[in-house]
Amino acid sequence: MKTSIILFATCVSLISSPAWAQQPDFTGVWTTYNDPGQGPGGGGRGGGPPLPMTDAAKQKVAKYQALVQPTGDTPGGYCLGTGMPGSMLGSGGYPMEIVQRPEQIMIVYEAHNEVRRVYLGDRIVPEADRLPGRNGHSSARWDGNTLVVETGNLVEQVDQRYAHSAKAKIVERYHLEKGAKGETVLVADMTMTDPEFYTAPVTAVKKWAKVPNGHLLPYECAEENWIKHLEQLENKAGAKK
Amino acid sequence: MKQIVILAAVILALSASLAAHHSAIQFDFTNSKAVTGVVKKFIAINPHMQLVLHVKDAKGERDIEFEGHSTNNMYRAGYRDNMIKVGDTITVYIAPLKDGSDGGYVTAALTANGTRFGMRSRAELEQERLKAEGKK
Repeated sequence: MKTSIILFATCVSLISSPAWAQQPDFTGVWTTYNDPGQGPGGGGRGGGPPLPMTDAAKQKVAKYQALVQPTGDTPGGYCLGTGMPGSMLGSGGYPMEIVQRPEQIMIVYEAHNEVRRVYLGDRIVPEADRLPGRNGHSSARWDGNTLVVETGNLVEQVDQRYAHSAKAKIVERYHLEKGAKGETVLVADMTMTDPEFYTAPVTAVKKWAKVPNGHLLPYECAEENWIKHLEQLENKAGAKK
Repeated sequence: MKQIVILAAVILALSASLAAHHSAIQFDFTNSKAVTGVVKKFIAINPHMQLVLHVKDAKGERDIEFEGHSTNNMYRAGYRDNMIKVGDTITVYIAPLKDGSDGGYVTAALTANGTRFGMRSRAELEQERLKAEGKK
């Protein structure tokens, strides 16, 4: 009898208030949203006030910039994704798609097909099993209607606006609000802490507008180089004949 | 007017994305030039469309290679599959190379059937503004 009551109570609890069903759904295609009067870029790309970098970080960034400045080379020019936090703050101005499940959120940035997997609950990868990368490992939890994403396990990156060391920790807080014309707007408040690169937390806000029935386009960045390579092979083969 | 503002925003956004994405240091985006020719090669591709036009002008007859915005950006500015085919006579609007040599960065195109796709460059917008104000 006692067991039945507990089971019944559990079922009622699950049916009436599944935790995930109460959360906002970010699923869909999103493009950069600018508040009225704000310039393009959504606050995530380039420019902006100087960041509170440590002297050691400034030296690393200056060394990198001196290297690429004459040619204007960028990671994207070599089909390399931006990496966090640049991927979520700018993503080259291309749209992104979010597919949300209770235990995992997939974020696909159209530029370079850059993908982030944000894990919740049991899907979170144990610390010892994580490999570092440009987008790191992202775990999330809900704080009311706000999704709080914590990202670590990054690699040092001096090749983006928000340069950081491998020890950087990034917290994004996502919520929905209405834009100036009533459109659905996704807002991310980002805070990055990195004692090796910064003397104070770095913050930024990025906003996206929902694209009704939007679709991402394919983006095979390496195809151009592959075609050029084939042409070179053809030219070489032709020269031998 | 609203369309012009939106268009300007799109162009600026795309220019910013271009700067963020790929080295375009060799192109002069403050200028715009129209080039007409016969398509010898066209690949709609990312990150940059590839184009070779056979051109006849005061300098003579020759093939000129161009690159341009990503296919995805062009798609959102009106490009659709098969709009450009080998053998078509088209006009491209380019940011020319800074050193003045042949070639450039395609920002827009006028296809064989008169359909235009792509973005107006900052230079084109400026020219239109001056024209509208009767200064050019």
